[in-house]
Amino acid sequence: MNNKAKTAELSKDEQLKKASTMAAVRAMLPIIGLVLIFIWFNFRTGGRMISNLSLALSSVYSLMIASTGVFFIMTMGGLDFSQGSILGIASIVICYVSQKAPIPVAIISGIAAGAAIGAINGFFYVNRKIKSFIVTICTMFLFRGIIKYLTSKAPVTGSASLSLFYDTVPIKLGCMLLVVAIGFFFFRFTKFGTYLKAIGAGEKAAKYAGIRTDRMKFLIYILSGAITGFAAFVSVLHTGSVTSSGGNQLETQILIALVLGGMPISGGAKVRFENIIVGSLLYTVLQSGLTMIGYTTQTMQLIEGVIFLAFVYIFADRQSLSVIK
Amino acid sequence: MSNEVRLEVQDVSKTFGITKAVQHVSEKFYKGEIHALIGENGSGKSTLTNMLTGIYTKDSGKFILDGVEVNAKNQVDANNHGIAIIVQELGTLDGLTVADNIFLGHEDLFVKHGIKNTGAMNKKANELLKQYGFDRIKASDYVDDYNFEDRKLVEIVKSTYFKPKVLVVDETTTALSQEGREELYKVMNQVRDYGGTVIFISHDLPEVLEKSDRITILRDGVYIGCVKSSDVTENDLKRLMVGREVTGDYYRADYGEPVSKEVTLSVKNVTVPGKIEDVSFDLHKGEILGFGGLSESGMHEVGKAIFGASYDRTGTVTLADGTQINDIPTAIKHSIAYTSKDRDNESVVMNQSIGDNIVLPSLDDLGIGPLKIQSDKKLKAFAEKYAKELSVKMVDTNQFVSELSGGNKQKVVLARWVGKDSDIVVLDSPTRGIDIKVKQDIYQLMNQMRKNGKSIIMISEELMELIGMCDRIIIMKDGKISGELERRRDLSENDLIASMV
Repeated sequence: MNNKAKTAELSKDEQLKKASTMAAVRAMLPIIGLVLIFIWFNFRTGGRMISNLSLALSSVYSLMIASTGVFFIMTMGGLDFSQGSILGIASIVICYVSQKAPIPVAIISGIAAGAAIGAINGFFYVNRKIKSFIVTICTMFLFRGIIKYLTSKAPVTGSASLSLFYDTVPIKLGCMLLVVAIGFFFFRFTKFGTYLKAIGAGEKAAKYAGIRTDRMKFLIYILSGAITGFAAFVSVLHTGSVTSSGGNQLETQILIALVLGGMPISGGAKVRFENIIVGSLLYTVLQSGLTMIGYTTQTMQLIEGVIFLAFVYIFADRQSLSVIK
Repeated sequence: MSNEVRLEVQDVSKTFGITKAVQHVSEKFYKGEIHALIGENGSGKSTLTNMLTGIYTKDSGKFILDGVEVNAKNQVDANNHGIAIIVQELGTLDGLTVADNIFLGHEDLFVKHGIKNTGAMNKKANELLKQYGFDRIKASDYVDDYNFEDRKLVEIVKSTYFKPKVLVVDETTTALSQEGREELYKVMNQVRDYGGTVIFISHDLPEVLEKSDRITILRDGVYIGCVKSSDVTENDLKRLMVGREVTGDYYRADYGEPVSKEVTLSVKNVTVPGKIEDVSFDLHKGEILGFGGLSESGMHEVGKAIFGASYDRTGTVTLADGTQINDIPTAIKHSIAYTSKDRDNESVVMNQSIGDNIVLPSLDDLGIGPLKIQSDKKLKAFAEKYAKELSVKMVDTNQFVSELSGGNKQKVVLARWVGKDSDIVVLDSPTRGIDIKVKQDIYQLMNQMRKNGKSIIMISEELMELIGMCDRIIIMKDGKISGELERRRDLSENDLIASMV
């Protein structure tokens, strides 16, 4: 009742104005934040970040690729906590296959493994109508267990050619740009993006407007799994092998990255593709900057937690507009 | 109606920023009268009664109840002063039992030594429900288990069991079927009979004329006047509300025009378990086919079944070219359009822009090349064209639908389907909760579409609009077709009701 009275005190004009200011903040804050912390870290580290840029950004490739898939899921209003486990399993598959078959086959196997886990998520989410975060938390634990089992004796090592020939910045950067460019094209210039946003903004109404919502949701989970399977390839290039912690915490990194990039947690019409790019960069710069300055892991987690909370507070979509009759 | 004043509204004003929602309104309400409050959407009716019942705070002026000024802080406080309201939208709370809802804010009645006696509360609630004749509703059930209509009945009990001095009925009847309305009228008459005052807000003018003793008209927050119901006609009221003569036709004017024999859609033996049973009919080119009945008669499901949106449907829905309609995308692809009664959930995507809402089903048609590449400019032009054609009141097409009024939301949905150029249009309760000006627009649009050879199915709980608009009216009862009436000048509501109950 109090809330209602409060919104009633604001006129519709003021509310609209407030909403559009909010939209501008949403759009600009992440970019300004990225620039500011980049400058600040360079200042604090005496320019070491710029001179070691490729090192500082070494983890952005797989993060940004995997974030693209999760971005689609979150646009529809879903969540995916199994991303880390998908990356782990796909990495193991890629490493294993790369020892016996050509690299392209290994990549395709990784993508297939990711897509298969995505299909499991999608099946339980769509057909059995279980909330996506519950399903994916279950599969996260399930596949984390399998990863631990497969790597219990020794890490799974990939073919030597992986790190020898493929671990170069142009290849990793190229892979990332390829995924982002294709994703951007389809999201922005085909009905794919509009459909996803409509599902996030009102699933039932989207269905009545002719969108096959269930099929779409299922396919997006497969797609997201497949994209993360590809991200696993980029990640394996860097590490060369997979241990039991392979891909650990990737899901939270993605979530934090997207929110830092200005993505509304509930998805819907206000998401922008730029959220992925700005968010992944912001997260990576933050992470490597804090490391370079010399913070311990514990302190870093604390700082990241505070920043994450602040962004969620700013971007949470609390029905900013109420209609006055 | 006695000459004793029950409630006096003195110079009450309320502004929302620059919007003057209510400006210096004064009026006297007498004991034992049903006093209607009418005006178009946004004329300040609800704002005024919301201030009285403590939902909003007033800026200036006084409410004097039985000679004492009241300033209700909230609805419960208003109840304690003897003022109750039945609101337009759902006024019961999910997750609570029927009894909890009825005694919400008054649980103290059943609390002894800090412990709530739920048994006593349920017993009392059951007694009340029985008194009102709503025995089928059980006090201990969760209110979620009941449909919209029954929940409204619970609300009626909730707001009247303590015999309020003033009862506000805010546009409740448009959400109810004929059956529910009768129950509400009964309660309103009871309140009048024991000397209470009913403030009755409704868009349905015949209903206002029939049920109320006096009528106060508001326009743009300004008091226009108060008339005796027996002294005025519907047209007088329209003129007073709009501020000018309502020109042009309201419903269709033609009678006896032959309908084409060409069948565009054929429904055969359609059954949806628990909803409708063995429904068959043909829809002709250029025909407006009406579906009437009580809210639970299954008529709303007929619309869904045609659109391929029903679950577990059997039987066939076939187009003239032999295409079978079994799912929504197929229906849309073959030129069927549908607007749901549940506008906010099933028709418009609330948290999306007007533009996106309009283009949604037409994206395939607007795309270029095999990838159906979308151009922002083209989409915007398309959305703007049809939003303008339907005269949607908006800032621009980027505005979110959630910010629009009910009438404008409906226009956005219609713009979507006019843009898609659908040949078969299924409209479920197209004018629910919409003021006359927009209603007239919608009726004229339907008439235009009919003349252009489109076929329309109109499902409605408002019998007058069915009689006014349809070539043929099918009446549903208990999930089955119970009657069929042709368009004629002397068709009356009673003819329809005879097959409904």
